[in-house]
Amino acid sequence: MRKKIGEGYRALFGDSPRAFGTLGVLLLACLAVVPAKDHFREWSGYQSGYLKYIANRGDAATLKRRFEGGIHQDWLPELGVVDRCGTCHVALKEAVLAGTGPQPFRGHPVIPHNLERYGCVLCHGGQGVATTVEEAHRSSKAWEQPILPARYVEAGCGQCHQNTMTGTPELNQGRTLLAEYGCVRCHTVNVPGGGRMAASDHPPSLEHIAGKTTREWMYAWLKNPQAYAVSATMPNFQLSDDDARDITAFLVAQSTALEVAQGPAETGAAAAESGEGSSLYGESFCASCHAMQNAAGLLVGGNVGPELTRVGTKVKPEWLKAWLWNPGQWSPTTVMPHYRFDGKQIGLLARYLGSQTDSDFLAKVSLPPATAEQVAHGKKLVNERGCGSCHEMNGVKKPDNFAPDLSNVGSRSLEKIVFAPGVQEDLPSYLAAKIQHPHRFGPATKMPQFSLTAPQVDALVTALLAETDRAAGLPAALRVPGKVESDYQPAGPAGKLIADLRCFSCHAFNGRGGDMAPDLSIEGSAVQRGWLVSFLKNPNTLRPALIRRMPRFNLTDGEAQTLADYILTVYQTPAFEAGPLSAAGFTADQREHGRQLFYSKYACQACHIVDPKNDKGYVGPTLTQAGTRLNAAWIVHYLKDPQKMRPGNLEPNQHISDEDARDLAAFLMAQTKGGAQEARK
Amino acid sequence: MAATKQDTLGRLRETRVWQSVFRSGWGDSNLHRALAVQQNLFLHLFPAKMRRRSLDIGVTWYLGTLTLVAFFILVATGIPLMLYYHPSVPQAYADMKDLQFVVSAGVFLRNLHRWAAHAMVLLVFAHMARVFYRGAYRPPREFNWVVGVVLLLVTLFLSYTGYLLPWDQLAFWAITVGSNILSSVPVMGLKIRFLMLGGNTVNANALLRFYVLHCVILPLAAVAFIGVHFWRIRKDGGLYRDGHAAARAAESGEQRHG
Amino acid sequence: MAETPKFTTVADSDSRRTPVRVAFVTRRKSPHVKAVDDPEVMTYPETLLRVVVAGELLTLALVAISLLWNAPLEGLADPLLTPNPAKAPWYFLGLQELLHYFPPVVGGVLIPTMVVMALVVIPYFNVNVEADGIWTRNKTRRLRTLTVAVAVLGLGMLLLDVWAILAPTLGMAALMYWTAAGRAGGGGRVKRWLAGKPLPFWIMTWFLIEATVLTVIGTFFRGPGWSWVWPWRPQ
Repeated sequence: MRKKIGEGYRALFGDSPRAFGTLGVLLLACLAVVPAKDHFREWSGYQSGYLKYIANRGDAATLKRRFEGGIHQDWLPELGVVDRCGTCHVALKEAVLAGTGPQPFRGHPVIPHNLERYGCVLCHGGQGVATTVEEAHRSSKAWEQPILPARYVEAGCGQCHQNTMTGTPELNQGRTLLAEYGCVRCHTVNVPGGGRMAASDHPPSLEHIAGKTTREWMYAWLKNPQAYAVSATMPNFQLSDDDARDITAFLVAQSTALEVAQGPAETGAAAAESGEGSSLYGESFCASCHAMQNAAGLLVGGNVGPELTRVGTKVKPEWLKAWLWNPGQWSPTTVMPHYRFDGKQIGLLARYLGSQTDSDFLAKVSLPPATAEQVAHGKKLVNERGCGSCHEMNGVKKPDNFAPDLSNVGSRSLEKIVFAPGVQEDLPSYLAAKIQHPHRFGPATKMPQFSLTAPQVDALVTALLAETDRAAGLPAALRVPGKVESDYQPAGPAGKLIADLRCFSCHAFNGRGGDMAPDLSIEGSAVQRGWLVSFLKNPNTLRPALIRRMPRFNLTDGEAQTLADYILTVYQTPAFEAGPLSAAGFTADQREHGRQLFYSKYACQACHIVDPKNDKGYVGPTLTQAGTRLNAAWIVHYLKDPQKMRPGNLEPNQHISDEDARDLAAFLMAQTKGGAQEARK
Repeated sequence: MAATKQDTLGRLRETRVWQSVFRSGWGDSNLHRALAVQQNLFLHLFPAKMRRRSLDIGVTWYLGTLTLVAFFILVATGIPLMLYYHPSVPQAYADMKDLQFVVSAGVFLRNLHRWAAHAMVLLVFAHMARVFYRGAYRPPREFNWVVGVVLLLVTLFLSYTGYLLPWDQLAFWAITVGSNILSSVPVMGLKIRFLMLGGNTVNANALLRFYVLHCVILPLAAVAFIGVHFWRIRKDGGLYRDGHAAARAAESGEQRHG
Repeated sequence: MAETPKFTTVADSDSRRTPVRVAFVTRRKSPHVKAVDDPEVMTYPETLLRVVVAGELLTLALVAISLLWNAPLEGLADPLLTPNPAKAPWYFLGLQELLHYFPPVVGGVLIPTMVVMALVVIPYFNVNVEADGIWTRNKTRRLRTLTVAVAVLGLGMLLLDVWAILAPTLGMAALMYWTAAGRAGGGGRVKRWLAGKPLPFWIMTWFLIEATVLTVIGTFFRGPGWSWVWPWRPQ
């Protein structure tokens, strides 16, 4: 055997020419592997697999004709994107294969974007230039951003879209949460194209906290905010008993007294029946903004203001009364309107709210008087924990960039991340773990424990993953900006009134304000003065299907008129002149023709009520008193293009001719019965 | 069959064209063989005859030869790589990706270039050590040793400049670390670094500078010094022969290659 | 009138130091030349074939390596993202390791410059010409010099806490003492072989071992913050 090997070796390498020849052949064989390796690349396997896959289909010939072999590439120079995903995902543009079949042969679902113009990686992440499965999809040293997992895929949309879209509920929710939970008070999140994300929560100023509540309540709240109010957005800082005690000591010590005008004397409230306070709470639509837990433990009400389930345990009675009289005195930035309650009403509400207590909440809290060391230590803690990022306090500066900037967190390099044990080493898992359990990342972690549900965490991760380097560097043309709040401020006495009543909390004017109630920017063109004045004094609903939410503010005649005049003068549409058409100018023929159009041609009664006895339209506003409420010219222009006058309106655009619109207006302007009250009943 | 081949080759060698190219003619005599070396531009740095002993593997380990082969491989792979490479930021990195994913055999080209570069640095060190231990730097070869040291530095600098070209994290920080070492030279340090990088940090200028150094200046320098190195081997008396060893071999009457 | 050039005679019978010379054979001397068995072969084809075979072997090895292992490629260069540790190419890692122990001027400039200078001037010192074993002559004096040199170097390295240099130095010194110990020409084959090596052999070997040790440490044993890590232990 050994002899044979020896012979073989000599035969191959026995002398120089033999060795030269043998090695030459070996070398050529090795070099021949190079083109072979090139030929059998992964993607060519997928392409032949695709041809096999479609061979049995009825439309094989068509699909095969459209198929092109070789490397497919979309190059988007202005985005810095080179996409070769189509090399394996050959059927992306085949509508018949959309959403079905095995990958990579599935077609892309229909989306509003042209695949060739936007490519794949812009939305999905991953390494577009790669032509191997591993490199294209997963994270490696050469490419950190893997494909976005399907559950966070909306993050891709969020890179360009700052606006709210119906197709991206997760992203929308995540962004809302970032604002509502005040995440962006500690973390800076710059919005591509300028500006930064703004918080939408209203953390109260603590400068006068001692006048509002007791130290015991503060202590119990700090220990666990959610024990007081399940919907509280304040996170749990997991403070030790001593730390919580010292912080309350500091809060009381820094608090100053606030001189506020007291409301009218409480008269007659004591004698009121027990249910009256509760009814006033309901009539004043407090629940539009404030929630309370009902007997079943469910929260009922809005989330604009704080939850009031246990408010009686928290606030001092005298503070509550002063607050109800005029919240703006206590907090100039509050969104709560100045209701102009009288003495009796204040008494009723204060008593009702004061009775919302929970004896368990403060049961175990007893605090000895604070010492100077405790106050000093409390101040140190307040600074360490970044309380000043949200709350104003005397002697505490708002920290700058208290927490890491999250503007590019979606592109954060894994090398920069310190993973907690047990956390999967990718960016989404890290973000989710950090949001869910910050303290897993070490006792030094300053981020507090928020109480969030799993879907909320996913939504937040989606919103954060959208904040990528690429998003920051996108060309301006691709960016879809979000709603930008204008700093519009109405002037004069009416302006003061609008501010005092906090109209902006619910209504929007000229690009500023809430979306709980209709946008009033061009309301002055639509309505008549008489109706408006009486509505402001005593609001009622126009839509039978809606619960009325506009509260009654006890306005004086003067105030109502000032406001109405201002609205009629200032909030006018530039689209038409209000003057020329008037009810008196219409003829009886026109009215009759209008009636026929209303009931037959356009079948308006499907949604609207003109005759309360026969019409059953409950979707749109009741029109029984349209003649006293609306402007004739408004009706004409509105009918011709409802969406132009009221964006997002449900009313269909029926392309009504000038003449028809005029006649419909003539008919509607004759409806002056004031039957709205009846219809409501 | 073999005879026919011989005849065909023989006839070919008799053509005017063949004889115009290979003027020394063809034959099995030592004269013809000597002429084949002498009359060839590439081979004439070799002597016509060499000592049998110095061809033994154990003598030189062929380290110098292997270094030269590595250099040839680097030139042969480097030139096609230049066809796919733009020395600009960040296109240079995109070109690496193209080599990896699109260019036929691009990965192989880059691999071969990279591994051959490492091999060359290793071989140069090994060659130097071997020459030293054999004492082959002794007079009259002392200048050729100095040329060798220069070639060592050229090789290191070639490898170092090539290291930056992929423009990835590895490249960027390796060069940053290297250039920071340089900046600790007293007085001139920062100026030297500025000169080398075309700026105070590793940036697009540094990439271009390193590209030109790597593809033009240093290879030319290497070729020039390799030429001198080889020429001096001839002029200094051929491959070094260890007189002691030869004498000892002769004394012990050992007829190793009789 | 030009002066007659001064004519000097050099009495030197060393063929290696003075390869070209005229030998005056006087009456009492005879030109005795030792016969050396040193046959020659034709460069073409003998040498050339061997050269080509060597080249083929190297190419074959490199092609095989290139087919099996891909050259590393990391993410796009990012000046804002410093990897920890940031390492130079492997052949500079010995130098980077030196920087860990010495100030930059010493570790980054002085020592490398000295090394290059030393390499350049090696052939201009005749220290290695005789090629005698280090202990053949002046053994006592040389042992004393060695002890002093090792003590000074070792103490310095010990004070600076440079184990990577200290340990190989001590090992080397121990080996040298071992070869010096006992009767000249005695001992086993290894000892006799080592004893026949001249001083430059020892210096060069010491230098090469130091360079290798430092480079290996820098390459494999250094982690974040240039801290010591064991390469086989995952982070």
